Order: sequence, then C-alpha cells, then structure tokens
Amino acid sequence: MTTISRRRFLSLAATAPFARVSWGADWAAIEAEARGQTVYFNAWAGSEAVNAYIAWAGGVLAERFGITLNHVKIADAAEVVRRVRDEVKAGKLEGSVDLVWINGENFRIMKAERLLFGPFTEALPYYRYVDTDGKPTTLFDFAEGVEGLESPWGMAQLTFFGDGAKITAPPASMLELVDFSGSNPGRVTYPAPPDFHGTTFLKQMLVETIADRTVLSMAVDKDQFVAAAQPMFAMLDRLHPFLWRGGEQFPQSQAQMKQMLADGELLMALTFNPNEPANLVALGELPSSTIAWQHRDGTIGNTHFLAIPINAQAKAAAQVVANFLLSPEAQARKADLKVWGDPTVLALSKLSPSDAKLFGSKLAQGGVSEPAPAIPEPHASFVPLIEAAWLERYGA
Amino acid sequence: MKSSFPQAVGIGLVALLWVLPLAASLMAFTVAAFDLPAWSGLLHHPQLPKALLLSLWTGTAGLALAFAAAMLITMGIYGGARWQKLQVFTAAGLSIPHLAFAIGFGFLIMPSGFLGRLLAGGSEPPQWVTAQDPLGFALIACLALKETPFLIAMAWSVLAQGDVAPALRGQWRSARSLGHGAGSVWLRVLLPQILPRLQWPILLVWVYGTTVVDMALAIGPTQPPTLAVIVWTDLNHAAVDINGRGSAGAMLLTLMLAAIAALIFFGLPPAAKKMRDFMTAGPSRLRVPKTWAVFLTVAMIVIYGLVLVTLAAMSIAGQWPYPQFLPDTFRFAAWQNLYSNSGPAVLSLALALACSALALGLTVLWFEVVAARLDRALTIASVASLALPALAVASGQYRLFLDLNLTGTLSGLFLAHFTPVFAYVFIVLKGPYRAFDPRFRAVAHGLNAGALRFWLGVKAPLMKAALATAAAVGFSVSMVQFVPAQLIAAGRFSTLPMEAVTLASGGARALTAAYALTLAVLPALAFLLVQMLGRPRWSQAWS
Repeated sequence: MTTISRRRFLSLAATAPFARVSWGADWAAIEAEARGQTVYFNAWAGSEAVNAYIAWAGGVLAERFGITLNHVKIADAAEVVRRVRDEVKAGKLEGSVDLVWINGENFRIMKAERLLFGPFTEALPYYRYVDTDGKPTTLFDFAEGVEGLESPWGMAQLTFFGDGAKITAPPASMLELVDFSGSNPGRVTYPAPPDFHGTTFLKQMLVETIADRTVLSMAVDKDQFVAAAQPMFAMLDRLHPFLWRGGEQFPQSQAQMKQMLADGELLMALTFNPNEPANLVALGELPSSTIAWQHRDGTIGNTHFLAIPINAQAKAAAQVVANFLLSPEAQARKADLKVWGDPTVLALSKLSPSDAKLFGSKLAQGGVSEPAPAIPEPHASFVPLIEAAWLERYGA
Repeated sequence: MKSSFPQAVGIGLVALLWVLPLAASLMAFTVAAFDLPAWSGLLHHPQLPKALLLSLWTGTAGLALAFAAAMLITMGIYGGARWQKLQVFTAAGLSIPHLAFAIGFGFLIMPSGFLGRLLAGGSEPPQWVTAQDPLGFALIACLALKETPFLIAMAWSVLAQGDVAPALRGQWRSARSLGHGAGSVWLRVLLPQILPRLQWPILLVWVYGTTVVDMALAIGPTQPPTLAVIVWTDLNHAAVDINGRGSAGAMLLTLMLAAIAALIFFGLPPAAKKMRDFMTAGPSRLRVPKTWAVFLTVAMIVIYGLVLVTLAAMSIAGQWPYPQFLPDTFRFAAWQNLYSNSGPAVLSLALALACSALALGLTVLWFEVVAARLDRALTIASVASLALPALAVASGQYRLFLDLNLTGTLSGLFLAHFTPVFAYVFIVLKGPYRAFDPRFRAVAHGLNAGALRFWLGVKAPLMKAALATAAAVGFSVSMVQFVPAQLIAAGRFSTLPMEAVTLASGGARALTAAYALTLAVLPALAFLLVQMLGRPRWSQAWS
C-alpha cells in the first residue's frame, strides 16, 4: 500500500501516544473552524437529569472550544426528522438543526432518505475508545449499519423495576412473568405498541419464545412472521387476562407506567436505561427499597447516538460537540448515577488507568444487581409486522 | 351599504395575515390527504370504526352535557349580583389549559388518586376503571366540565351587551305579565334569541371535543383510543407513508364532522317548524330550577377548586405512595426550574398580547367595513382551521414559511400564533357584534356624529363585554399554542407551552403540574380583567 486514505491516516494519528495534544491537522482545522459557532442540539428534554447534563456540557464547550451549545428541547426525535426533511425538500441549505439525539427507526429513515452528514464518526479522536467489539450495537443501530453517520453516545438495555418490599422473587423470564402476573392479577402491564417500550417488550417476548433465533437477524415477510410469532401470541393470550384492566386497556407510554408504579397501581415498570431506577431513587422519586432486574438469559439492548443533518450550519462545531461527548470525562459524568446514569459506550479497557478510574463501579440503590447479556434488536422488518399483528389481535 | 374601498382594504388585510397562511396549510394538507395508499392503510386500520365512533360519541356527549349545564346555570343565575360573581368562576375555568385540567381531574378520579385514597383505602389502590375507561366517560366528564365555563362566558357576552340587556328585560316583563313562568320565558322568549348568536361557539365546542388530542391522551380510552389520537400518533411518526395515513384519518374525521354539521343545518328548519307549536303554546307556569342551577354551580366550583389544589400538590410532591393523603416528601425542583428559566414565559406573554390585540383590531375592522354576507365564508374557514388537527395544518403552514424564509423568525412565530387566535376571536365576536342594533348608528348619523366618534363614544362602550371577552379568549388561545409554534420556531425560540410539553414528555408529573398552573395564571388575570371591564353599568336586579 502506497497511499493511505484520509480516514486511515486520521485513525493512525489518533492512536499515536501523544494523541491527546495533537489529533492531526484535519481535526485541528475542524476545531479552529468550530470556534465561535453555535450548535443547535435537538435533544429529547423529558428528563431533568438529561437537561442538566446537557447544560453542563454547554458550559465546558463554551469555555474550552468557544462553542455555544443551544439545547433545543424536543418531545420526540421524529419531529426533527420531519423538520429536516421539509427543509431539505424546500432547498433550505441553512438548516435549523446541527446535532440530533437519535436512534432506531428515526436513524434508519434519515439514512435512507440521505438526510445525514457524514461519514464522520470514525474521524472523531475519541471514537477509538468506543467498545465496538463488546458493544456491537454501536455499529448496528436496530440492525441498520451505522456506517459512520451517527456517533455513539450511550447504551440502553431493557430493564424491569419495582419495589423490593413488595416483590420478593422478580420474574427472570417471560414465562415467569406470566406466573407472576397470575398471582398478582391487575398489577402488571406494558405500554401499547407502537410506543417503543411496548414494542420492545413484545420483541423481548418474541426472542424468548421463538423456536429458531437465527430467523431474528433476517428480513421476514408476513407468512414467515406468522409462523415465527405463533408461540409469542400464544403466550400473550395466556398473559393478557392477568394484566391491568384484564389486558383490554394499556398505558400509553413508559412514562405513564412509571407514574403508575410510583402511585402503587402497578407492581413493576420497565425502562431502557438500566440505571434509571437508581437515578429515580437518587432523585427521591422512588423509594430506596426499589430493585431493578433483567431477564436471566438476557434482554434486548441498543445504543443511542448523535447525528448531524446534511443541511446543518455548524457541522464543524457539531463534530467537536460529538467528540467531546464521547470523551472519558463526559462519558464518566453521564454514567454517574447522581448525574444521569446513562451507561457508557466506551471500553474501559481501552482507557488510561486514570481515565478508567473516573467510572465508579459500586452498585447503587436501585441498580441492576445481576446484569444479563444484551440481545441485539431483531431485524427492522419485524417491527411493523409485530405492531400490525398486535393491533389486529388486541387493539379493537 | 358598505362602501367598496374600505371593504377591499378589510378583506385584503384579513386575506394577507390570516387567509393566505391558512389556505397554504389547508392546501398542503388536502394534497397529502388524497393519497390512495394512505386511504387504503387507514381503511384497513383495525381500530378505525370503533375509534371514529368513540370520537363522535365523546365529543357529542361532552357538548350535550356542557350545553345543558351552561344553560341551566345561566337560566338559574342570570341577572343580579350572583351572575356577576359567577363570571369570576368562568374566568378561572376558562383559563385553565385543557391538558392541565385533564391531568388534575385524572388524579382526582384514578384508582390511586384522591378519591381512591379517601374512599377505598387499603394498602393497594382499588382496581377501578375510572380514568381511561373504554367508553370514554372520564373524557366526556372532563370535556363537559371544561367547556361549561366557555359556553357560560359566551352567553354572558351576549346577555351583557348594552343594547340586548334592556330589550330582553322588557320582553321578560311583558312575558311575565302575560302569565309565563320564568322557565317558560327562557324557553319560549329568551333562548330562541340567544341561541342563534351562540351557534358558532357551540359548533366550536363540538369540533374541539371530537378532535381533541391532549385531553384524550391523558384521560381518554386507549384500546382503541379516539380517532384523533390515532391521527396524532400517525402524524407524529417519522415515516412519510404513516404520516399519509394520519392525514387521511384527519380528513375522514373532518368530512364526518362537516357531513353531520350539514345534516343538522339542513335538518333543523323542518324540526324548528314542529317546535313552533311548543313555542307558541300558551303561557305556562314552568319554573326555572334555581336550586339545581345553584347546586350545579357549587359542584363545578368545588371540582375546579379540587383540580387546582391537586395540581398545586402534584407540583411539589416527591414520593407520594398510596394510600397516604399527603406526599411523603416535597420537592420544589419544578418551580425552581420555572423560576430560573423565565424567558419562555416572557415571550409567550408578549406574543399573546400582540396576537390578541391585532386579532381584535382586525376582526372589528372586518365587521365595520365588510358586508355581513361575507361572514359565513370566513366563519366556515375559521371553524375548519380549528377542526383540523394542528399538526396537519401546521405542517402546511411550515412548508409555506420555509419558502418565505419565515421559519426561525419572530414574525413567523407571531403569524403561527395569530392563525388560531384570529379564528377564535372572530367566532367569539361575530354573534354579539353583528347583532348590534343598527338604529344606534342611525341616531348617531342623525346627530351628525362621525363614524369614529360613534364607535368610540357609543358602540365600544355598549360592546365592551363582548370585545373584552374576545380579547381574553384570544389571549388564552395564544398562551397554549404548541404544535405550529414548535415547528416554526425551529429551535430558535421557546415559549412556555413548548417548554412544558417537552419537559413533560418524560412523564414528570411535578413539572407538568407546575407549568400547567403557570399557563393558567396569565389567562386567568386576563379574564378577571375582562370581568371587571365588562360589567354593564346598568346592572339592576332582575325579578
């Protein structure tokens, strides 16, 4: 090989021992360009912890990089997808979004419609610390190849939680959950799909009931799906009579379930952030007897990311922000239960000992005591089929 | 006869500021809604029939109850000091945002709420099916409670009109002396005159109830939900084809409402003929159920009070496990959040003041210079703009504003607020304004008073209750604008409801409650002001 691609060169430069001080000329140019820019960061704002964390990052970015980080508070990332699509359609080159917090379906759509800038992530200096081997979902977002179009930000894994004072033996599989519901009728439920926590609950049941798991990673058509999902629907038929309101009405969202748990109407709730229960205990919203658990053989896990729309105005600064949010400093603060409790995407083994020490490992009240392996999301083609079949059977 | 030049100016201004942005939105929406695959997707939606019926049922039942309650209370309490005091309640009732009311009311009736803690007790909440019941009774109750003050306020603005009140009082006396009981006078003499002026507000309440999303999400049925909720979920989706299904659903709901409204419009005259026998039947001693009216009023005031107390308690509650009557721990984080971030509140206030002032000015200009026969077109457009889901209308408006480079600008944000505010102000003011007795003008002409002097000296003082109510309604509508504002602000501006909705998306009840209360305070002040301004000078006791 006589020629080295730009990206290859950058990653070589980045792995050099003195990388901290000189990332390479390209990155220095990006940082220089970024100075003075304003980044409109469109991020879900439904959590005080998340908002406070983003505000902290804004302070550091202003001080160290001369970047103004403006948190545009949104309720749903799909909003941003539609806005960017409309802007691009109208030929508006100066877009309103510089950086968006995204994953799953929204990412798949933005990628398919070519609404994203990049690839850029592998050129981010801190990207080399990302645990791409141990956390394959940093490369495949809901089975969709990331291909450098979004920078990993945090990890998620389906986790259940409830009051340990009321639950002695938390159900560690879907089968056990059916029994648990049978002995606590009306106190268990899940959000109705297409709420994504509800869909994830169904995916989890599909994973646990399907005869041949290899089917899950492939595109399926309706006939294949009907055959594969038959045991799942048989189990749902058994479960539903024991659920809240006899399985005839369902909560709208995970947020509502959380509230119903706090009010005592439900015995357990679910979340995608394994540390959310511990965070809620730390915030004083749940009692200190709260416990969190995952299913013995693993639960669905995924990664959430940061992406830059194709018509972003401050692309350089957006990259600097994404890079800073990947830094051990920012990731460790984010993982702190008292701050947010969002699990890191970095491999602690790749960090220097002093950086690795930033990540505290002691188990907090409300944390998951026995973490289970993360199971990758089934192929995206399952989602519309699951949702439609569920609606047909239980929706009307 | 209106002269042609001022009329052209009036029409032109309304067209530029209101019709044009709205027409672009409706056009974009209509195009999106005529997509065959979208309709096929909609018609194959397994929840469609039940969801459509639920929408019509909840909206209609909500209106029926609200109308009955509003009329009963008006009949029982109209005239005298109590009627004036009642307006304080309607002001407070009107100013609480719908969603806030639904959340507070929900916490009253849900199994783990106040009622459950009070009545059921035990270590675990009862398994009542109160909130989110399959037939939507909780939603109906919420709509009825929330719309009653609006209808009372509308009746008040008609009855408090300077020229109407003395005329009605005269008719009242004659009917009484002919041997009609008070109830008979209301049914046979007064209501037939008031109702035509209330027809558009009544239609508005019906359309609102059948298309409401936020209340239905908080307290309505879930499997299936109302059609408006399905439409909202589809329109919110990131995928274009699902958005298409949402637009088709919105179009279907709108067409259904239009068809039913047309049926009633054309079906009423024959029915009215049959009513004539009843109307002209001799005097009856029918009484006004005053006791019931007072009881209903007190019950509503108590429920509203409880909802407000509940919201206040929720805004500072930390852990509040069942069955404790008071929270275990208190947190003031929600209020601190609001206090440390006051920019959005200031922006919302400025927008609401500017929008309601301009809408009032433009509406009055329209009524003064444009022929009355053109009202109907503008009214239908107003109702249509309010009937369609905000998301569908907003996305059309958004595309127009993108082309005009108005997104992310203050003027774009202003126009986005102005569209619904103008529609409300126009509908609310139309009845009382057009009913103004033209003889006043003739007298003024005879006395050689100019048009402006006549308006300032005679008309405005007589119309002040109606004008002030319209302005306050516009103000409160502006305060709660979310969907169009969020799109057009493009992240460059943040208003109070934008903050509230996004912060509440995580389900933090304390924050939702704190913002909801704040959103209620400013309109409440506006309505209180109206109540003081609009008090007629002639108010004498009625017998």
